[in-house]
Amino acid sequence: MKKTSLLLLITVLCLSVVLAACGSNNKNSNTGNTSNEGSTNNAAKGESEPKPVKLSILAWNNEKEMKPLIDGFKAKYPHITFDFQFVPPVTDYIAKLQTMLLSDTAPDIFMIAAENRNEIMDGGYALDLTDEPFMSVMLDSNKSMVSKDGRTYAFSQSGWAGGLFYNKQLFQEAGITQLPQTWDEFIEASLKLKEIGVIPLYDKMTDITIIHSALFGSNVLSKDPTFDEKLFKGEATFAEGWTEVLTMWKEGLIDNEILTPDMIGMTSDQLMNEFALGKVAMFPGGPWNIGPVEEINPDLEFEIMSIPGKEPGNNYYNGAPGVGFAVNSKTKNKEEALLFLEYMTTQEGLKQFEEGTGGIITVHGYESVVHPAYEPAYRDGLMTGKIYLPMVSWNRHQEALRVQFLVSFQDIAVNKITPEQATASLDNKLKEMDNK
Amino acid sequence: MAKYVRQLQYLLFLLPILAIYSLFTIYPLIKSFFLSFTNFDGYTKAYDFVGLKNYVRIFVDDAITSAISYTLFFTFGKALLVTLLAIPLAMILDQKFLTRNIHRAIFFFPSIPSGLLLAYIWGFILAPISSGILNTVLRELFNIGPQPWLADPLLAKLSTIVVATWAITGWHAVLYLAFLQSIPKDYYEAASIDGANRLQQIRFITIPLLAPAMTVSVMLLLTGGLKVFEIPFALTKGGPGYETYSITQVIVQRGISETQYGLASAMSIVFFVIVLAIAIFQVTVMQRREQGLQ
Repeated sequence: MKKTSLLLLITVLCLSVVLAACGSNNKNSNTGNTSNEGSTNNAAKGESEPKPVKLSILAWNNEKEMKPLIDGFKAKYPHITFDFQFVPPVTDYIAKLQTMLLSDTAPDIFMIAAENRNEIMDGGYALDLTDEPFMSVMLDSNKSMVSKDGRTYAFSQSGWAGGLFYNKQLFQEAGITQLPQTWDEFIEASLKLKEIGVIPLYDKMTDITIIHSALFGSNVLSKDPTFDEKLFKGEATFAEGWTEVLTMWKEGLIDNEILTPDMIGMTSDQLMNEFALGKVAMFPGGPWNIGPVEEINPDLEFEIMSIPGKEPGNNYYNGAPGVGFAVNSKTKNKEEALLFLEYMTTQEGLKQFEEGTGGIITVHGYESVVHPAYEPAYRDGLMTGKIYLPMVSWNRHQEALRVQFLVSFQDIAVNKITPEQATASLDNKLKEMDNK
Repeated sequence: MAKYVRQLQYLLFLLPILAIYSLFTIYPLIKSFFLSFTNFDGYTKAYDFVGLKNYVRIFVDDAITSAISYTLFFTFGKALLVTLLAIPLAMILDQKFLTRNIHRAIFFFPSIPSGLLLAYIWGFILAPISSGILNTVLRELFNIGPQPWLADPLLAKLSTIVVATWAITGWHAVLYLAFLQSIPKDYYEAASIDGANRLQQIRFITIPLLAPAMTVSVMLLLTGGLKVFEIPFALTKGGPGYETYSITQVIVQRGISETQYGLASAMSIVFFVIVLAIAIFQVTVMQRREQGLQ
């Protein structure tokens, strides 16, 4: 009997503890809710201190990179705290965000990237930011990536351009006094480097390369900037746009053994190291390579150059707007989330973002200070919009087409298929994806 | 009646794990089967039934046909190589020598870190350019020019098999070792009294008594091999072309990256059936072999 009553007592005690915990939880969440409403009211009236709000962010920039921006914002709005989640780009980030969106647990602020922009905008997951006053600072060339039917759904403040880094000393040794202005001159210069026993160029060929993208820009887009639009309306084909580009690439680089298929398995770090050590004259890269190259070899004299097209003057870089920050259309903290985006567009916020992420700011009225070796890409590529990245420009099935492209040009490199077969396979893939 | 009540009590204890298993394994499996008949894209909750369209598409997809052939090549190549290496290794590790325990640990170690990490490290060794470690060694020792270990279709396939074998052989050797240690030493003593030499002892005692271990090991190798993802992905990303695409990579590619969940679900179902069929066939055949040997 005693035993039973003791057991009963323990059970009751345990239960009461659990229930008490529940009760206090409820209480907390209640105050949480009222605090939200309170802050809106207070903000409207401009009275007394606003109640605390927690903003959730999912980003592929890590916490360290985002810290200056977040710290700056917190200093200005001390009542807002952050629940910051980092997922590395690209596949992991896309998958995580997708799961969160589908299960209605997405954060208040997330990123729209080239790889998920269509799904997010079509699904109505992001708030329409077009009429927000702070959006006026955004460059039109950045807006294109995060817009649909004239409405813009995210704020993108940065951009990048990639080109070929070249070793000035090796160029001199090979007697190349002037940078190549046409594709033929570029091949000629590469062969000159080869003649004096220098490896002219390394390319890893594990994604659509910087050379492919830029060559398409300089050959096709410089004549018809709307080519991709036509392509996805069914008025043009991959065969019409890309066959010549892939043929030039194959005949110039593969047939002359400037690029060899054994480079397919190289990693970005290997390319960069070999260049920094002076073992190769050129390698395709972007602003992220400059710091590491200088760290490995501080004495190296190098600069970025564009990829010339068939005719002189049509030089292009590879590149795209940076990812855009969007507000969840179902957020409960809309006002605070917009406040954060607004802060991002201020001179202060832009500077902090630049500091933290090392990104290049491409916003009206803000001048980024770039490394001298990167000056040509910033001046002639980014700010004039002479950059191209297929995955940003293709308006549907980017990922399927990207992989098909990648597989096709690797097959060209190992002489398994011709450029004509490669572009035919791309046209087929587009048809297949449209009929799925 | 009392018996049933007692049994019911046991079942009661199984309930929590059954609930978890159902929630995280059975339910997704059924859901996946259901989605394989739809055009679900992973983003919009509205989707239509498309019947068997996804199943038909699997067999006209270049990537999947190439992936099936590579995955089978990888699986059987690795299973053969590991089995051929693990049994002798286990026999050596079963001997009494001074550094036996250290050696067991050394061989077991590669199976601990994730496949991705191992493959990234091997990426440096196999780097196709002249500064790759393996190519440097070959040049210095034998004056052989740089080999495209990860870029040539055949070499890339073989390289992934070699790395996978290197990573898992020690683990399987430990499995065999456990079975070896359960073989009574009397058998060998009796055999040597009867005049059997070492080779005959292996042939007539060790191998037959290791048969159950082989059944387990080969089954693990086959199912693990068919599910391969990390090592080829980290080494070659599936390239060149579709040469080292694994089935799982195509499923991830079609499902997550290309947002064709319906198609990817259909692929997973077909894949599930293939793995099940191979595993059942292998276990039946090898169990029959066990009985024959014993």
